[in-house]
Amino acid sequence: MKILLALDPSTDTMDEALRFATEKKADLTALFVLDSTWNDYTGHDWLSGSGSRADFLEYARDAEITSETDIIAKFRARCPSACEIKTATGRVTDEILLELTEGKYELLIMSHPFRRGLEMMRDAAGVILKQANCSVYLIRDNQSHRSASDVGDLLVASIAT
Amino acid sequence: MEEKHGMTKVVAIIPGLAFMVLTLYILRTYVEPWMTTAVILGQKGWLVKVLHLNYILLAIIAGMLYRNLLWAGKIPAWAEEGFRTTRLFIKAGVMMLGSLYTIQSLAKVGGVAITLIMTFVFGTILFVMYYGRFQKMDRSLVGVMAAACGVCGVSAAIATTPAVRAKPADVALAIATVLGFGIASMFISPFIGHMLHLSDYQFGAWVGTGILNSGQVLATCLAYNPTIAPGTAVAYGEIWNVVRVISIPFVVFFITMWYWRAEAEAEHVTLIGIIKDKFPIFIIGFFAMTAFSSLGMLGAEGSATIQLMRTVMSWIFGLGLIGQGAYIDVRELKAAGGAPLKVGLAAGLCKYALALVVVLLFVSKEANF
Repeated sequence: MKILLALDPSTDTMDEALRFATEKKADLTALFVLDSTWNDYTGHDWLSGSGSRADFLEYARDAEITSETDIIAKFRARCPSACEIKTATGRVTDEILLELTEGKYELLIMSHPFRRGLEMMRDAAGVILKQANCSVYLIRDNQSHRSASDVGDLLVASIAT
Repeated sequence: MEEKHGMTKVVAIIPGLAFMVLTLYILRTYVEPWMTTAVILGQKGWLVKVLHLNYILLAIIAGMLYRNLLWAGKIPAWAEEGFRTTRLFIKAGVMMLGSLYTIQSLAKVGGVAITLIMTFVFGTILFVMYYGRFQKMDRSLVGVMAAACGVCGVSAAIATTPAVRAKPADVALAIATVLGFGIASMFISPFIGHMLHLSDYQFGAWVGTGILNSGQVLATCLAYNPTIAPGTAVAYGEIWNVVRVISIPFVVFFITMWYWRAEAEAEHVTLIGIIKDKFPIFIIGFFAMTAFSSLGMLGAEGSATIQLMRTVMSWIFGLGLIGQGAYIDVRELKAAGGAPLKVGLAAGLCKYALALVVVLLFVSKEANF
């Protein structure tokens, strides 16, 4: 079985994905997507000097790279050996869907809400559930009141392939 | 998305741009004339007389419908490059608006504009700094919200973010807040203006002061009166806008100094450095057009050149506002919440209401323009 984990800051999701992959003896691949849609999100800005806008986009890109380093380090600390980690750049949901298609995965595991880049403003899970060609396992990103395994039992969402 | 260059980029622009042109053509040629004659609720022209719809508001609504309904939240790849030209169109249009003024006319209303704008800009910034601290907001985010609510929404937030080391994700929430408020005020303000029988001068002064986002000031003025000529709402509102835009580097400097004063590792910034980096160059184009107009180089009022320029401007703004509408993702606006929403709404509403009171009390119906 091939499983794709879409990485975001949730360590609960990382832990649950590792637990589930171990239990199913599955191959787990983690994907981190650097969000490149800041330019479009700031489309309302038409007054800034070009320096101002360029500075902001560079600043947002640097913040994305810092997130990448932090989140991948957290995942590596949990999964020192067997897991493959991939990175991509683009619109987060598009890149996840592309990897699902190209990698022929049977299951996607991701947090809900999904807090990666501008997806925190959007409904990543809704988009993925509509378009994914495999089953999707959503982990509620609410670490305060339930354990990861409880969440796993509650939030398995399957769609027809 | 892969960056395109040269001819590839020009070709990539065509489909989206053609789609916007076609949309605007249909709105202006068929929909707007139909609205003036359509009988709804027993009244001829109800959409125009009661809802005050015109091609400007229709352009924004069409853009929003494309993004949120037709395209399910994402501008498709074939249209993306074309819609990106929106910024260019509006900037070009604002530069051309400079032709509506002469240096003498700017001097007549400029004093009132500078006084009102500076009072409200720095008043709002101080309010956000105080209320943001009361709401226990992070200092970086307070700085961004102060710029966004004080000057002109998205542009000021973007200009301030790197200087105060705000998290881009927080900035996204701040932007959603000010845009949401601005969109609501864009549709409500013409109603209030007509209800209170505000003159174009008063309306321009009010929305130019009270609405948070400059793009929305432009749209609201054109929604109130779509005529582009000296003495109309857009001519007055744009003076206010330009004063605000010029103040961006000063506001960024003020907020940066405030932010770093309380930080251990103070960052060295200078006003000259910020002006060089953040000054919106296209404002120079606006004043160049005013200078041409003052020297009579564009012809007398009513000349063919002036008429042509105004027709071009009306199309440019129409296209620009379809694009602006298409950048409004309702789902993203719904994500606004928490302390930024509270602070943004409080600051926005106070500014909007107080500006109306000040205009009603102190700004005469007619300007010596």
